[in-house]
Amino acid sequence: MDGLNDKVGGGTRYAFDAALPGMRHAKLLRSPHPHARILGIDASHALALPGVVCVVTGEDAARLPDPHHGFSVRDQPLIAIGKVRYVGDPVAAVVAMDERTALAALELIAVDYEVLEPVPTLDAALAPGAPVLFDEPHPGAPLGVGAGSWSRNEPAPNVLYEYGYARGEIDTDLAGAAHVFTDSFAISRISHYYLEPYSGVARIEDGRIELWTCNQDPFMIRADISRMFGLPVNDICLHSPMIGGGFGGKSYCKLEPLIVLMAMKARAPVRLALTLDESLLTLTKHAGVLTLTTGVDAEGRLIARRSELKLDGGAYADASAMVALKAAYRVTGPYRWKSVFSRASIIRTTTIPAGSYRGFGGTQASYASECQIDMIARRIGLDPYEMRRRNLLDVGEPFAPGDSGMDSDLRRGLDEVCRRLGYHERSQHPGHRNGRGMGLAIGIKDGGGTGNHAQATVTVSHTGAVTVSAATTEIGQGAGSTLCRIATRTLGLPLANARYAPIDTDRTPLNNGTHVSCGTTVTGTAVQRAAEDARAQILEFAAEQLQCPAADLTLEESGQGWAVRRGADLHPLAPLIMSWFGGVGYVFIGRGGIKVPYDERSPVRARNLFWMPSWAGAEVEIDRETGRLRVLQLIVGGDAGHAIDMASCVGQIAGAALQAYGLSLFEELRYRDGAQPENADPRAYRVPMASDLPDRFDCFVEEHGMGPGPFGAKGLGESGMLAVTAALANAIEDATGARVTTTPFTGERILAALDGLDTVVPMDQRSAAE
Amino acid sequence: MTGDGRGFTLNGKPASLRAPDNAVLVDVLREDHGLHGCRIGCDQAVCGACTVLVDGTPMAACSTFAFEVEGRSVLTIEGVANASDGAPDPIQRAFLEERGFQCGYCTAGMILTTRALLERDPDPTEATIRAWLGAGVCRCTGYSAIISAVHTAARLLRQGSV
Ligand code: FES
Ligand code: FES
Repeated sequence: MDGLNDKVGGGTRYAFDAALPGMRHAKLLRSPHPHARILGIDASHALALPGVVCVVTGEDAARLPDPHHGFSVRDQPLIAIGKVRYVGDPVAAVVAMDERTALAALELIAVDYEVLEPVPTLDAALAPGAPVLFDEPHPGAPLGVGAGSWSRNEPAPNVLYEYGYARGEIDTDLAGAAHVFTDSFAISRISHYYLEPYSGVARIEDGRIELWTCNQDPFMIRADISRMFGLPVNDICLHSPMIGGGFGGKSYCKLEPLIVLMAMKARAPVRLALTLDESLLTLTKHAGVLTLTTGVDAEGRLIARRSELKLDGGAYADASAMVALKAAYRVTGPYRWKSVFSRASIIRTTTIPAGSYRGFGGTQASYASECQIDMIARRIGLDPYEMRRRNLLDVGEPFAPGDSGMDSDLRRGLDEVCRRLGYHERSQHPGHRNGRGMGLAIGIKDGGGTGNHAQATVTVSHTGAVTVSAATTEIGQGAGSTLCRIATRTLGLPLANARYAPIDTDRTPLNNGTHVSCGTTVTGTAVQRAAEDARAQILEFAAEQLQCPAADLTLEESGQGWAVRRGADLHPLAPLIMSWFGGVGYVFIGRGGIKVPYDERSPVRARNLFWMPSWAGAEVEIDRETGRLRVLQLIVGGDAGHAIDMASCVGQIAGAALQAYGLSLFEELRYRDGAQPENADPRAYRVPMASDLPDRFDCFVEEHGMGPGPFGAKGLGESGMLAVTAALANAIEDATGARVTTTPFTGERILAALDGLDTVVPMDQRSAAE
Repeated sequence: MTGDGRGFTLNGKPASLRAPDNAVLVDVLREDHGLHGCRIGCDQAVCGACTVLVDGTPMAACSTFAFEVEGRSVLTIEGVANASDGAPDPIQRAFLEERGFQCGYCTAGMILTTRALLERDPDPTEATIRAWLGAGVCRCTGYSAIISAVHTAARLLRQGSV
């Protein structure tokens, strides 16, 4: 069975399955306290247990050249040094001959804690005199930004990061608007809940580190390990096997440096495989409160918006800064504005670190923005559809001055949702506005990364066998198959000829990681260029052999293998190559790369490569007695520019949409009394099952043909999450006249809204209010 | 059946059960028999990634003691394809055709659950499919493609495809 087939035959190997001869097994002891100083760790009893190899603690970590990691703010030690900052913070790691012994040894480690006051919520963290998570500022450069933006690391106690963007005369414009509305929206903390628990295996041999990990950013991790251990990058090799789901939860540095440190101390290969419970304690999506003040003119044209976003970053930085930047920049939605002021702060709390989750703040921003657009439309007596139509950016119109133009037809996608939903006929239904209603939303995010770059090679053997090599990891999005399609389409060879090479950082050309739906567009362009390079070499070789200009030749697959065509004549290539080279044949090695340039005139320091709109429509029915929400229809669409693999594009939309559906209806990682996670285990934490699906769940992919990638393609892997939550909230208001502004939209919250009681529940009262 | 001492049938062949009494089936399958297609996700009978068929009934191998399968017949994903030529069976073909997977971590469980369902109900309704698949989690696909795969598999099997 080939690589794809292996998934249905059970043959696929994940990092979880990685095994090496002589491998030892590790388990982590985690903090039971949300905030405490570590006064001492006594591991002597654990070490005395037969089968225990070693114990790693912060004392070992502190001896490294730089024991911290974190994106732009490096504040997270690879294992707690001196202090713990959330329940679940790793305190000690046991390496033993087997997992069972390692687990038993954890019980024998005594940690002496001085318990400190927890800082469980945004309000607690920002209160005057609040306990601080960190006493000292951290190394790391603030994210680079361009015109109109600012970017600050650790601007205030317990504030990790602030990003802001302003243009135009916001105060004047708001003062002059016909209507001004201020609304707040709260979004809950959710878990990635990928099925393959976080895992990795490290081995040190001849002074070189080798690491098999489920992380999707092999080159980023290599750079982190290099800096933290003070080793050159060519002494570190990361292997990225198939990843069992990630959604952002397996991006950026996590446990990899700790696994390396354990392998060094154990002097043996070490495997650390978390349980899914522990995976839930590793990273979450940002909860937060978003407050938007929006001015419109008498005709419902948007004038100005001031946005304040407070996002709960948890205990450590991870990728929070990027989330803040992206959330604030996108919170104005796909609309035209005269003036904008947006600010996002990441607040530190003693909770699980928050980081990337399928769209870097895109879901939070689109949710708040699209709810408010709908509310404003209803308040001023406009149909929400019409309100959006009036304000949407046109094709080619820049998202912001200095940024790139809209490369999707936003109205076309909206109309498609309306058509599928039956939106314009909704008032004919007897139940409309009487417990039954429809809502629309359009999410938007930038895609492809900021100033991103990637390299790739495409090698073609004398038999026409194609090997595509790039560092876009396989995480279920079908990266390898899409990149192989791009290569073979460019070469003019059948897809069956191509294989996607396993990723290891010794051999694979570099990219920045598998992020921001960049696989098709950025890495895809590098692959396309590499394939073009290989094709040129092949045609040049054939032209020389056939004594004709290369321009006269094309590649094709014939009955006798691959061949060059010159007019009516077909020349099989294998014999041509073999007669010249002899031996075991030859490979043509095509190289390709792409760099999106930085541009200081653009607010986020690079013109966005492509825009990812997401259109959603929902029809709901509310039981007025119980508040129970039934979703009759959920329609979600995206724009692939050009779909290189339609089935995988639709699959990406459906998967993302259902995650947002879970977040909207019931998903929430809660804290009890603000300090202890209440449901951070796979049994108590509820994710959507097939039995939870909307009655009708319809996902579609448009091809507007304006993407910058190969054949007009652009990415869409994250987009399906953006608009779902707002569409559902808007449908609830359409059905009942009541507005819910806090996710998830539970029966209790909907009932409260029906009773006119709904207000944004402040974050620190949320658990009490459950 | 091995007949001598403790044994069970594994993917149609007799196998011995040497595991200690407290061993869990998933560990026996993965470690003693190298059957890594039986995945560990939640490890607490929630996600269905470890689903195997025991005498045709789906069971969570992470929460089944090895001794419970003594004398019984266990089918894992590795035993689904044609034993002689490795050709995918109709349900596997349907999953391939409909792209009923993304990361693939849930896929073995979904395919085995589908097999049990279609043995009991060769022409299930959408609601029946949703209810049966509701025994497991897929975090990637949004289930749509999996549900299509079950419909397609049912059609292939009804057409007597082998
Ligand atoms: S691993 Fe057994 S049900 Fe999840
Ligand atoms: S395909 Fe990834 S969990 Fe189902």
